[in-house]
Amino acid sequence: MIEIDHVSQVFQTSARQDHLALSDISLAIEDGAFVSILGPSGCGKSTLLYIVGGFVNPTRGTARMKGKAITGPGPDRGPVFQEFALFPWKSVLGNVMYGPRQQGVRPTEAEAQSRALIEMVGLKGFENFYPKELSGGMKQRVALARTLAYHPEVLLMDEPFGALDAHTRTRLQNDLLNIWERDRKTVLFVTHSVEEAVFLSDKVVMMTRSPGRIRQIIDIDLPRPRRRDELLLDPRYQKYVVDIERMFDDGAEGGSQP
Amino acid sequence: MMGRMLLRRLAPLLACIGLLVVWQVAALAINNDSFPTAIGAIRAVPDILGDKESLINILASLRRMAIGFGTAVAISIPLGLLMGRSRVVASFFNPLLMVIYPVPKAALMPIIMLWLGVGDLSKTLVIFLGVSLPVIYHSFEGAKAVEEKMLWSAAAMGLSATQRLVRIVLPAALPEILTGCRTGLVLALITMITSEMIARQSGAGNILFNALDMGQYDTVFAMIIIVGAMGIGLDAAFERIRARLVRWSEPQFDIPLSFS
Repeated sequence: MIEIDHVSQVFQTSARQDHLALSDISLAIEDGAFVSILGPSGCGKSTLLYIVGGFVNPTRGTARMKGKAITGPGPDRGPVFQEFALFPWKSVLGNVMYGPRQQGVRPTEAEAQSRALIEMVGLKGFENFYPKELSGGMKQRVALARTLAYHPEVLLMDEPFGALDAHTRTRLQNDLLNIWERDRKTVLFVTHSVEEAVFLSDKVVMMTRSPGRIRQIIDIDLPRPRRRDELLLDPRYQKYVVDIERMFDDGAEGGSQP
Repeated sequence: MMGRMLLRRLAPLLACIGLLVVWQVAALAINNDSFPTAIGAIRAVPDILGDKESLINILASLRRMAIGFGTAVAISIPLGLLMGRSRVVASFFNPLLMVIYPVPKAALMPIIMLWLGVGDLSKTLVIFLGVSLPVIYHSFEGAKAVEEKMLWSAAAMGLSATQRLVRIVLPAALPEILTGCRTGLVLALITMITSEMIARQSGAGNILFNALDMGQYDTVFAMIIIVGAMGIGLDAAFERIRARLVRWSEPQFDIPLSFS
């Protein structure tokens, strides 16, 4: 269980002015839930994820994991970034093995586990490739496998498919759901795509434009396992998407007032 | 296709031959004692390399260069990386380096000689100074450019700050660091010769400038050829090591800058 308790974040801009990025966010995320944070760009949704990851310290408030205040990064919370952030000097296998090796897993064991994970994300045969030799979609598969390899309790996904083309994105969404439905890790997923959020999540946290506040939390009551083709034809799915989009349109007009 | 590849491989050699031809023609045209022909200078090369005294001199130069370069790299890389990742370290060292950077290191030689004598120590120190700055600068830039998210990923795996510096920043910045080392290597050769020009006692520079004093122009130019060849040889050897270390970052095509 992750609790975000009255968290605010203030940044200093290059003009030395204070910019309120997040304003008084409180949110509880249950174990095993797939929660998306949805909002327009610049609403601080990634910052919220970085605070849970321990990469950024909140200006006010605290984030807690299993009751303990988060003070820094740790292997219980595994990030997957839009920028992939692979280690370019390591092969695919070397990247995936890095976490387990750091945790003291024996080399042979770490390699066997990593090979299995690489196969699971659909990259069998690419173990010895370097990141620069892979496409964007493949890189993100490696990044996902690399994070899964050290068994974090929570996956923190920061617009992971944002840099990919539409076709690759849907394929990775499907694969992510398949993987997730097997072991049901807690996932915190940041996105600006309404369809993506509804398709993947149990719960969608809608945020307002800057300063980021929670606007509304919507439970997505759609059956699992979900299949994209079935869901697209499902009126309930369509209604969620349309409702959320309408809410954003209203919010955007309100928010653009000076 | 085959012809093109062959041409590309032979291009550096052809360039050298071209230079020697121009030299030869110019020397014949000018016909001055202080400007020997290319053939004359090349003929003098085996005389130098066959002479035990000269060889000892050249080896002494190379030894100083190796020590100067080695210690400079060993100190500059960690310093540059720390500067790139810590604002405090950077704001402390940056002004110092800004002052030292534009000073020609050989210009410090007379002062250093006053303090440390004309021996190996002074010359090695000058080489050390010459090599340090480009290596620090490139290590600094390389470390600064390391993607934040890469470090976060490593932190989530449980790497401490020190581990991240050694195991993430160092390899990630390695291509840039090695660019600095390559510049440093050439500068080491240059400062090696200039230091020996100022503190004449032994070394390749000593042979060169003694020959100049005695009007042995064939030897002077032969030494220039030898120093040039040493530069090319060192650079090619270094490039080979570099290419092996950073194969993961290399673009597929590269302009052949050296003989490797």
